[in-house]
Amino acid sequence: MNDHAVANPLASSALVPPLTVAVFFVVAAVFASLLWGAGPIGPADALKALIGQGSEEARFVIMELRLPRTAIAVVTGLALAVAGALLQALTRNPLAEPGLLGVSGGSAFAVTLAVMLGASSATLTTVVAQVGALAGCSLVMLATRSRGLATDPVRLVLAGATVTGLLLSLTSVLMLADQRAADEIRFWITGSIAGTPFSHLKAVLPSLAVAGVLVVMVAAPLAAMSLGERAALGLGHKPGRIRLLVLVAVALLVGGATALAGPLVFAGLVVPFIARAIGGPDIRKTLWLCLPIGPTLLLVADTLARIIGAPAELPLGVITALLGAPVLLYIVRSGRMPTL
Amino acid sequence: MQRAFVHRISQGLVTALAMFIGSQAALADTRTINTLYGEVTVEGQPERVVTLYEGALDSAIAVGVQPIGAVITRGGQHVAGYIQEAAGDIAIVGAPAETNFEAVLALQPDLILATRQTSKEQFELLSQMAPTIVLDVPLFQQDSWQRELKGFARALGREDRADEVIEEVAQRAAEVREKVIAAIPEDQRDTALVRWMPQGPLVMSENLFTATVLASAGFEVEDSDLVKEGRPHSQPLSLENLSLMDQSWVFLATLNEDGREALEAARQSPAFQRLKANVNNQVIPVDGHLWTSASGPLAAMAILDDIEDALPQQP
Amino acid sequence: MFQLVVRHRNLAAQLGLVVALTLAAVASLIFGTVAVPLDSLMDALAGQGNAIHRFVIHELRLPRVIAGALAGAAFALAGCLMQTVARNRLATPGIIGIDNAATAFAVASVVGTGISVAPPAMALLGAAVATALAFGLAGANGTRGYRFIIAGLGIGAIAGAITQVMLSRVAIDSANAAFPWTVGSLNARSTTAVITLAFGLVIGWVTALLLGRSLNTLQFSDPVAINLGTRLTRVRALSLACAVLLTGLAVAVAGPVGMVALLAPELARTLCRAGKVPLTASALAGAVFMVTADMAGRLVLAPLELPVGLITAIVGAPYLIWILVKPTSRSLT
Repeated sequence: MNDHAVANPLASSALVPPLTVAVFFVVAAVFASLLWGAGPIGPADALKALIGQGSEEARFVIMELRLPRTAIAVVTGLALAVAGALLQALTRNPLAEPGLLGVSGGSAFAVTLAVMLGASSATLTTVVAQVGALAGCSLVMLATRSRGLATDPVRLVLAGATVTGLLLSLTSVLMLADQRAADEIRFWITGSIAGTPFSHLKAVLPSLAVAGVLVVMVAAPLAAMSLGERAALGLGHKPGRIRLLVLVAVALLVGGATALAGPLVFAGLVVPFIARAIGGPDIRKTLWLCLPIGPTLLLVADTLARIIGAPAELPLGVITALLGAPVLLYIVRSGRMPTL
Repeated sequence: MQRAFVHRISQGLVTALAMFIGSQAALADTRTINTLYGEVTVEGQPERVVTLYEGALDSAIAVGVQPIGAVITRGGQHVAGYIQEAAGDIAIVGAPAETNFEAVLALQPDLILATRQTSKEQFELLSQMAPTIVLDVPLFQQDSWQRELKGFARALGREDRADEVIEEVAQRAAEVREKVIAAIPEDQRDTALVRWMPQGPLVMSENLFTATVLASAGFEVEDSDLVKEGRPHSQPLSLENLSLMDQSWVFLATLNEDGREALEAARQSPAFQRLKANVNNQVIPVDGHLWTSASGPLAAMAILDDIEDALPQQP
Repeated sequence: MFQLVVRHRNLAAQLGLVVALTLAAVASLIFGTVAVPLDSLMDALAGQGNAIHRFVIHELRLPRVIAGALAGAAFALAGCLMQTVARNRLATPGIIGIDNAATAFAVASVVGTGISVAPPAMALLGAAVATALAFGLAGANGTRGYRFIIAGLGIGAIAGAITQVMLSRVAIDSANAAFPWTVGSLNARSTTAVITLAFGLVIGWVTALLLGRSLNTLQFSDPVAINLGTRLTRVRALSLACAVLLTGLAVAVAGPVGMVALLAPELARTLCRAGKVPLTASALAGAVFMVTADMAGRLVLAPLELPVGLITAIVGAPYLIWILVKPTSRSLT
């Protein structure tokens, strides 16, 4: 994603050391994802395959199976992390997370509906997922207009959790009505990137590029808005328009990620949390740090999902939930709630 | 083939009826059946039979009893396609996991044949409507279907018919087996029975009903120790491990009416394209309702027909 | 005396709900695959008349109506208590993970993980474990405010993930057998669980009424409530304990039926006079909602049945969205 313009000259020099470390972690995670899997191809064989040697079987597993899902994990992690950071900056709520707020839920519900109606093409799924995410986003933002929600982080999350629970039930209704679709969806609904074909990634990339441009556009205004709407107005930003742009960006990002991996909870919570812990509350720094940390988290989670359950695999969403819930509890315990 | 068999059965039914009417005066037939929930007594020849289990529907029709009510097949809207014609105009009384007890009652059954997963509460409710048979036959064993057939047939008062039916299935299997042996060299009869899911295939147990039918027709079904004892199938296999299901033949089941759709979906996966069964064009798409959900003698006959059709044409 | 002196409006609301519950119950008894006309219903209830009607009423519909009414009342009362304590109308037991944990435990027993305890008992155990964890993890002032809620949310997410893993790793048929436990259903549920729930509901209801006055003061800020003589910690702990007991027992009967705990108190508040916590009215409204939803589930796709939890979700969706988007909503404060 093209994020050079996000860089604030003041911020970037202080960011260099942590960014370097984080990028190192991504590279390590990418290698881990390529080297370990649920099958018999171990790290040694995988390394040989990577430099073009080794058995034909090993080369196939690395190039055709692990490489695509590694790429998909990178993109999904990036999208969810950035979406989480944006939502949190916009709502000034460290708990605002696409999964918790019902954005992923809306997206998943829309896709389930589409699959039931017979949709199968990757492009269509992506669009449907993004429209669903946009609906989820809009609902959340409308909800924040209710008295009490905008100022209280917990209430917003509760509203989101209620919506998510409801969407899950409705998804169950659909799955009950059509068992064939249910079988197709059951694994996807927990979140997984095993077997997602490259074509899906290609279908998602253009809209993510659009989202990237939007992120670049809104980063500076968002940082200004964190000083208060007055300050933002004074600097010539239009809060209403910024909000709208952020919403569209979040919907594109979450919808794209959901189309690729199913609804993943907590990825958008954990990554910006870590990023803020390293770089402080400035949204621009957070976004920069999210770029390497998001992919790292998803790569690690996906690699774990493959290793723990071998020769089968655990759904990725389960791993992110198990990794993310403790972070949620920690945020609550540390009393950092209303600090954004 | 299947129709011919049903025809034979209906002939058998007529004969049985004639015998039954002839000897009815002498029959004050009372049988005790050992079930999961103790002994159940059935009198005479039940005429209003409701089956809450696909295997029971199959067994009942096979021994010449026409049930009046049944549950839909898993993932379908009606009883499974292979038995629809034989079942005729049958009332639907719910889905496998959600029985509509009022619909059962409305049929005023005199015998209820239920699945082994029936809970004690459900059993007690059903028992108040009619004698209810929940056979204590462990699922997913080599001879499960024969034991179920015998148990249900005994409840239906047609125990003698059960052995004949088993014999007929065995004969048909031997027939197909001969063709299999003629068509396929001995070292190429290894087979995997698989359900393709988007996130990876489920390998079916060697002890699944369908697998035993395949085995009786001369195929060697392999689940490569992926399936735990007492389970019908493995966990969805990681695509990296598809080589574990790489047998000469792969029977690919799906709940789609048209199995080819599933095959197309599977073929989009590069890991699947590499399978030797795929390369040799020996991946056979089959109806999942029949191949992975049904059980019983009629299902066995239908599966044997499918196997026969799948064989390479002999010159 | 506690709440014996109810104002006219509250009394009228409660009477109205009793009438509605009676109507819903009678309708539930009449309609179904086997139609039982009203006069036959009377005969059947008296133990006379057509044998089939007697069986349908006594063995199938009456237990179901009773189970539905009790479970609905328990969910709703638990919801009302928790909303009052948390001062938030979205804070229902379902949201903070109690339902999820109860379901995870019940599913563990259904899908054969080697645990042979009956699913209803497991559900109750799950509810207790979730609450204990939420309290423990929320730290010292556990009963207060958001910490407890967010901790519950996290626990609910973990429990949900574990349920998903169990369902995706077992045989499809077992997953089907566990399905009613994941959405909520009243079809042929355990009688023991229903009787236990009846006792639990009485205990919970009486406790709630005893706490009634203190709960009313919780609608103000903490200092005001303390000034009015409320012992906050004790009231909160007792209310939460009641809510957990009621939810656990109700999940044991009906599975995790969503939205009842949210919508029924909402309806009760609309009907009753502001200023008082409508405990009894919530319970009654919950019973009405549940009985009606179950009847709808039996009828819409007959002869196939829809689990009651799906109906409450479908009915609840528009209402929830409405209270979320209504800009002037007082519902969330």
